[in-house]
Amino acid sequence: MIRPMSDAIVIKGVRKAFGQKVAVDDMDLVVPQGALYGFIGPNGAGKTTTIRIVMSIIFPDRGEVSVLGKRSAVESKDRIGYLPEERGLYRKMRVGPFLAFMARLKGIDGPAATRQVKEWLHRVGLADCFRKRCEELSKGMQQKVQFIAAVLHKPDLLILDEPFSGLDPVNRRLLRELIDEQHRAGRTIIFSTHAMYEAEQLCDHLVMINRGKKVLDIAMRDLWKRFDPRTVIVEPLEHHDGASVAALSGIPGVAGAHETRTGFDLKLADDADPAAVMSSAAARVRARRVELKRVSVEEVFIDLVQQSGGSGEEIAEIRSAIEQARAEAGAGVSSGEAG
Amino acid sequence: MKALHVAWREFCSTVLTKGFILGVFLPPLIGVIGLMALPMLMNQKPPKTEGRVGVVDRSGVVMPLLEREFTPERLQERRRRTVEEAKAKAQEAVPTGMGGPSMEGAFRQMETIAGEGPKLSLQRLPADADVEAIKKDIPKATSRAELPKDPLLALAVIPAESVSRADGASYEKFTLFTTPTLDVEVKGDVENAIERAIVDARLVREGLDASKVRALLSTPRSDSITITQGGERKTHVAVQMLLPGAFLFLIWISVFVAGQSLLTTTIEEKSNRVMEVLLSAVSPMQLMLGKIIGQMAVAGVILGVYAGIGVVALVVFALTHLVNPWNIIWIAGYFLIAFFLIACMMAAIGSAVSELREAQALMGPIMVVLIIPMVLWMPILRNPNSLFATVLSFVPPVSPFVMVLRLGGSERVDFWQIPASLAVGVLSVVVACWATAKIFRIGVLMYGKPPNFATLLRWIRMA
Repeated sequence: MIRPMSDAIVIKGVRKAFGQKVAVDDMDLVVPQGALYGFIGPNGAGKTTTIRIVMSIIFPDRGEVSVLGKRSAVESKDRIGYLPEERGLYRKMRVGPFLAFMARLKGIDGPAATRQVKEWLHRVGLADCFRKRCEELSKGMQQKVQFIAAVLHKPDLLILDEPFSGLDPVNRRLLRELIDEQHRAGRTIIFSTHAMYEAEQLCDHLVMINRGKKVLDIAMRDLWKRFDPRTVIVEPLEHHDGASVAALSGIPGVAGAHETRTGFDLKLADDADPAAVMSSAAARVRARRVELKRVSVEEVFIDLVQQSGGSGEEIAEIRSAIEQARAEAGAGVSSGEAG
Repeated sequence: MKALHVAWREFCSTVLTKGFILGVFLPPLIGVIGLMALPMLMNQKPPKTEGRVGVVDRSGVVMPLLEREFTPERLQERRRRTVEEAKAKAQEAVPTGMGGPSMEGAFRQMETIAGEGPKLSLQRLPADADVEAIKKDIPKATSRAELPKDPLLALAVIPAESVSRADGASYEKFTLFTTPTLDVEVKGDVENAIERAIVDARLVREGLDASKVRALLSTPRSDSITITQGGERKTHVAVQMLLPGAFLFLIWISVFVAGQSLLTTTIEEKSNRVMEVLLSAVSPMQLMLGKIIGQMAVAGVILGVYAGIGVVALVVFALTHLVNPWNIIWIAGYFLIAFFLIACMMAAIGSAVSELREAQALMGPIMVVLIIPMVLWMPILRNPNSLFATVLSFVPPVSPFVMVLRLGGSERVDFWQIPASLAVGVLSVVVACWATAKIFRIGVLMYGKPPNFATLLRWIRMA
């Protein structure tokens, strides 16, 4: 039975098909209040359909959904902020009146709506855009306006579908900060992204979806533990040679060392203490960076798809989608962070 | 409440556009300005015509008769008769405003337009005069200011055979040479006078009394009186046909402008991808309802503007008795039914397609159906109680338009048909709203290949 009051979102046994194509299959999910959940998966995985079901924009063929203690999001729309994947603005409408209109639809009175709109525009650096027509804004500016429309009414639950798509790195960072701020304010947030490393940087719980099915539902801290590659990364300060490999291989607890583009990966033995290995490595090689390697979310995803019997073609498609997502973001820095 | 916010935005975004303001307010404004400016322009008296009309009368009998036609009294009388005829025609077209201030004004305009009448003198020329030589005296000036004093404005050449003819032959025609600047009214008057003189000369030649024959041939204009339950009144054919048409046109145009606008804004919301943003705040039903209410207000504005003008016109021309107040109430009901039916169709189509171009394919059959009342306006008005008109009164979506025409017609519609057709209309609105809500809910989030009617029916069944 569903627990409607204690969790922000509860999905049980939900299935949705469009003709022959099953978009969401037998989905179970519980999002506790105050959590920051990331929905990840390649394009077409079923993320948007799941979110639309949560928002009661479409209805499941079967299964139960509870949102903020209600049987349907329709009953608590004023407590939900939603940034859809297919988002747009009234092109001819001015930014201020558009946001005030959205605020009124969310139950904020006229004068209060205008005041809050001005405050938010100021916060995101669009203070001078109040009287501008939406069509005069750049894409990044439009996305900020759309984000404001989603959070203006201080919702209890914030659902963001692909919030980072189309943003440049500077605005991605700004959006991450804003999402983090909303989370710190106690709001439950779920966001979906096909750029999986974004989720890794931001959320405290991951839900991986592939071909309409949930393949992983895990807290980030548990993910690091469960998918620990037990590898130490060493990035030397100066040019290195074969002698360095030999020196690092000899560290007690290192099962093997091999050279990478930027330095070395040291594979730990099963009983090795990572801290002791890292300190020995730093003593033997003048290093810019010595750290315990974290598995990337993308690697975990591919691994899980492989384990579930995914074909080579499917894996290649996922890899290609991951590369494309990184390229779209121009995320050289982010890539390193995800590393 | 949310639906009302949507409605207000929909209303403002439609009404506060330059296109709407120009399209709705400009035509009546131009009409009013035209009505005000026209009298001012018409107030200008016609140009003064003063000069001679040369006559070469080769019959020798027309000239004395023609001289009688050109005495100042006869010229004045002809002018008066022209004005009287114009007044009679005006009263027939726009009736019983007798004594109404605007009618009096119009009559004054007519007097002014007719002017003081020309000051013409006849110049008898010898029967064997050299016409080519005299023609040279007619000024060829293209401006009246350039005319000499007492100019020869026209030269009439009347052949002897215009009065007498050989057995079996036809009468000859006369020829009139004129200066380029001669006022057309004056020219017509001169021609008529010559024609009359020639005919009188022929009658005299045949030994008949010309004035007696004319009296025998003329009859005053007939009076057409309609006998109604409320008494007798003058028959005003033009108004009887135009008034129901005006009601039909008024409703049709307001409903269609608003309906078209609903279609456009819905497609815009889809193509701008703002639909899902809206659906995060309102349900599809609230969105659809809000949009329809907003556009109903738009239709109300159009109706208000044009109906207001119509009411002012009826009051000014003292024609309010032609409109039955009960009919206004029924017509308001039919307007609402027509609006909701069309709005539902437009909302359904708008939600189902992604571009205006795609909507055309679905709009075609609907337009064909809705053009029916416009095409059948005359047959329905001539026989409002025909089986065809009666049946159409119960077939939505044309029924409200047909009933509006029938109610305005000369024949009384059986009373039971009014509530019955209203009930059918309301029922059809309920069904249309239900079906549209289903299509709307699915359609607004559908992109890609535009659906056909079969797909829309499937959506209605599955949703």
